[in-house]
Amino acid sequence: MSLIIPSVFIIVITIAAARKVNVFSSFCAGAEEGLKFTLSLVPVLAAVFMMCKLFEISGIADALAAALSPAMRALGVPGELAKLALIKPFSGSGSLSLLTEVLEKYGADSYVSRCACTIYASSETVFYVFALYFAGTDKKGRALPLAVVLLSTILSTCLSCMLCRVL
Amino acid sequence: MNAIFTAVFIASAILLCFADPNAFLPALLDGAEQAATTFLTLFCIYTVWMGLSRVAADSGINGAIAKKMQPLCFKFFRTKSALGAQYAAMNITCNVLGLGGAATPFGIKAMKQFDGEGNLFGRNLLFILNATSVQIIPSTVIALRASFSSASPADVFAPALITTAICTGTAVALYFFTDKICRSLSRRSS
Repeated sequence: MSLIIPSVFIIVITIAAARKVNVFSSFCAGAEEGLKFTLSLVPVLAAVFMMCKLFEISGIADALAAALSPAMRALGVPGELAKLALIKPFSGSGSLSLLTEVLEKYGADSYVSRCACTIYASSETVFYVFALYFAGTDKKGRALPLAVVLLSTILSTCLSCMLCRVL
Repeated sequence: MNAIFTAVFIASAILLCFADPNAFLPALLDGAEQAATTFLTLFCIYTVWMGLSRVAADSGINGAIAKKMQPLCFKFFRTKSALGAQYAAMNITCNVLGLGGAATPFGIKAMKQFDGEGNLFGRNLLFILNATSVQIIPSTVIALRASFSSASPADVFAPALITTAICTGTAVALYFFTDKICRSLSRRSS
């Protein structure tokens, strides 16, 4: 597996050199394109990250987690994981620190921890991907895919816990 | 997004006025700082992969790979843009290979292409594929479990893979279905 990336570089650069492409200037042109691209994303990222931070420190996340934990228990998700499930769509680093807490508290091989790991591994930071991918595109028709993805995230949370019980 | 953003901002600001007014500004600055560090990380990923991608493009490799994947992407994303289909093909290839960082730049470029030709269907579908986690090997979690002295760190591999497969499939099917309903509804009303 670890050989994939170096081999890709070797293959591409060898073929480029064989076809008499100026590898250095092509690479620099690509890097410049990359810079322009990332720069255009920064304002959106800043706004979304601010929102996520506020969501966490204002206590809304905790309150929602407390309110949702009975419903989650009904769906088969351990109540202790309500906060993780809630933060995961917003913040990768936030949910990672929560996951670490859970592993520390319950031990790596407990049911709760295995659930937490599966939830973490099988879902994305939806709002982050949303901000990144939709930055600078037409505002029309964004709501439907977001709703679909959020639904599937809920499904993946429940399924994770179910599968952890069986497997 | 606008509604969520406004609601979260106002609600948390009001709550913080009561709980801890001094924490408000640091939280915003923290968010901005996180954006700055993310920018640096993204910039590093981008320069590497966009640089390589440009070399590959200039030597005609991208065209060759995309030609194989393109017919599928044309159909799947309902696009007419050759460039968009090519970027989408690269995005999916990188995701399947587990090169998440490399997949992102191609994904965003494909989104812009689809959006530019007014192909909201393809744009949204690509977002759904990327937002329902197409990661195949959860390396972070496995490493973390190992560091907490788990007896079998890779235990979560099977449930995570099954969950991802089912949920991505469900999301795509659900989107196809709801998109169809929306279209027929708008046709009826017009």
